[in-house]
Amino acid sequence: MKRIKSVTVLQHFLLIMMSIIAIFPLYWMIISSFKNESEIFTSSFIPQAPTWQNYLYAFAEMPIIQMLFNSFVVATLMTILQLSTSLLAGYALVRWNFKGKLLIFTLLSLTWLIPFQAVMIPNYVLINQIGLNENPLGIVLPFAASTFAILSIYQSFRSFPTALIDAARLDGESDLGILLRIILPNIRSTVISLGIILFINAWNEYLWPMLVTKEMENAPIQIGLKSFVNSDVNMWGSLMAATTISCIPILLIYLFLQKHIVDSFVRFGIK
Amino acid sequence: MGEVKSIIVSEQGKKVNEQKNRRVARSLIKWKPYLFLLPAILLLGVWMYKPLLSTFVLAFQKWSMVPGTEPIAVGLDNFIRLFQTKDFVQSIENTVFYTVGILPFSIIIPMLLAVATNGLNGRVKNVYRAMFFIPMILAPVTVGAIWRWLFHPANGLVNITLQKLGITDTNISFFTDPVYAKWLILLMTGWGLIGFSTIIFSAALTNINRDYFEAAALDGATKWKQLKTITIPLLSPTILFMLTMSILFSSQFTFAYIDILTAGGPFGTSTNIYYEMYKYGFSNLNAGLSSAAATLFFIVFAIIAIGLNVLTKKFAFYDN
Repeated sequence: MKRIKSVTVLQHFLLIMMSIIAIFPLYWMIISSFKNESEIFTSSFIPQAPTWQNYLYAFAEMPIIQMLFNSFVVATLMTILQLSTSLLAGYALVRWNFKGKLLIFTLLSLTWLIPFQAVMIPNYVLINQIGLNENPLGIVLPFAASTFAILSIYQSFRSFPTALIDAARLDGESDLGILLRIILPNIRSTVISLGIILFINAWNEYLWPMLVTKEMENAPIQIGLKSFVNSDVNMWGSLMAATTISCIPILLIYLFLQKHIVDSFVRFGIK
Repeated sequence: MGEVKSIIVSEQGKKVNEQKNRRVARSLIKWKPYLFLLPAILLLGVWMYKPLLSTFVLAFQKWSMVPGTEPIAVGLDNFIRLFQTKDFVQSIENTVFYTVGILPFSIIIPMLLAVATNGLNGRVKNVYRAMFFIPMILAPVTVGAIWRWLFHPANGLVNITLQKLGITDTNISFFTDPVYAKWLILLMTGWGLIGFSTIIFSAALTNINRDYFEAAALDGATKWKQLKTITIPLLSPTILFMLTMSILFSSQFTFAYIDILTAGGPFGTSTNIYYEMYKYGFSNLNAGLSSAAATLFFIVFAIIAIGLNVLTKKFAFYDN
């Protein structure tokens, strides 16, 4: 009995250490953002005289609201498009046997091997040719279909009882009807979880938006933050304030839908 | 008589019509799967496969991406130039360094942590999981900004603490130091991955039937022996999955940190191949060189992926 107890203490010790390592940088970011100019360079763990000054400076320095809005537009659009294309594709892959199915699976799986850096130059040229640079659509379009989303949807469709589909078909329901009225309501929570992951990924997207947008007014928040980090100003308080603002949407989503998110990451893996 | 005939004729007409309808319907059914797949396939074709082919072609050309200019064929020049570039050779070494260095964070430590903490249940476990997960959802730019501040040469918490503890009495400029820079990038990437991997291994571990361990314990097997003969073989699909992910993605995970914190420096000591591709393309405006590197590494990663696939089929042990 005693042995079991000491093992549990050791377990908790390990887990608490890991948790501290995981969240300490986030904590340091938040408290740094509230420290005043004289305190920012000390190692105090709680701000002695909390101030909003850093936030005011950050808002004055960058078009933060505009960039948050840009990020929101891009992430929402990308999530909706990725979900739509993968729902359609996933349905086709589960519902029918057809010529070339294996080829399509192969093509989908092979995209794992294509890093974005291997296609960025031709894509950059194409986006500039069709004049979608400096445009949220230009950021979204190359990511409108995601193999990760298609295969995740396919996986959850596969466990859907075919008897229900057959019954709906006998009732004269069209395929789009089956997808939208029979399957979708039943796997709603899976689709929501996947949507959350896709939204977070889109919000955090970085290399491609950096290539497509040069003007701050058109850039998502990540790009603005990056140029702030690299601007060599020694304004660490306001830099941490800007960083805090940039991840508030993600942290809010996480706070409310935490279990959803962890479960779906475990189920779907990483992008 | 005439009436009957006309009925027969109209019946035949109906039949022909029905057949026609059915044929239309059948060909529609035949096309339906492709219709549903069209948006996805079209988009992947335009934004993945077509540009990949263009990259293969560009690898044998010289082009500065200036609008109005045309690429010029140069044969194997780009590939020869690549291996004469000092940074490129170093970037290969670093890519191997990052890929191997990430394995303790994505496999070894998480697996041990998962085993050590196995059997915890309920709400407590969920609280830990929730915290472990946070690094995974933060943007690379966010993480980069915070770490840059933590490791700031003059006023960062790490330097202040090191000096308070008397470990060093000079300010260390971590991100401009040829040794520390790449270790820090590795550490940050590992920090982002370790909690996530632990959760994956925990999930896999809870699926293992407890009876195996009880039977082994009754037979007098030590904890270590249980780990070696039961846990690791049964976790082998997860281990191989994480191995594949680590190898394929570690260079992409490190890319953002390299760009934000060191720009590959100092003297190319922290760069990796993807960052070199980016630099050749968008700093040096040498699309050919960038594409040659991309082509080369597409082939290398394809070979590795095929190898891992074979390995998974051969060694992954499934408990049915």
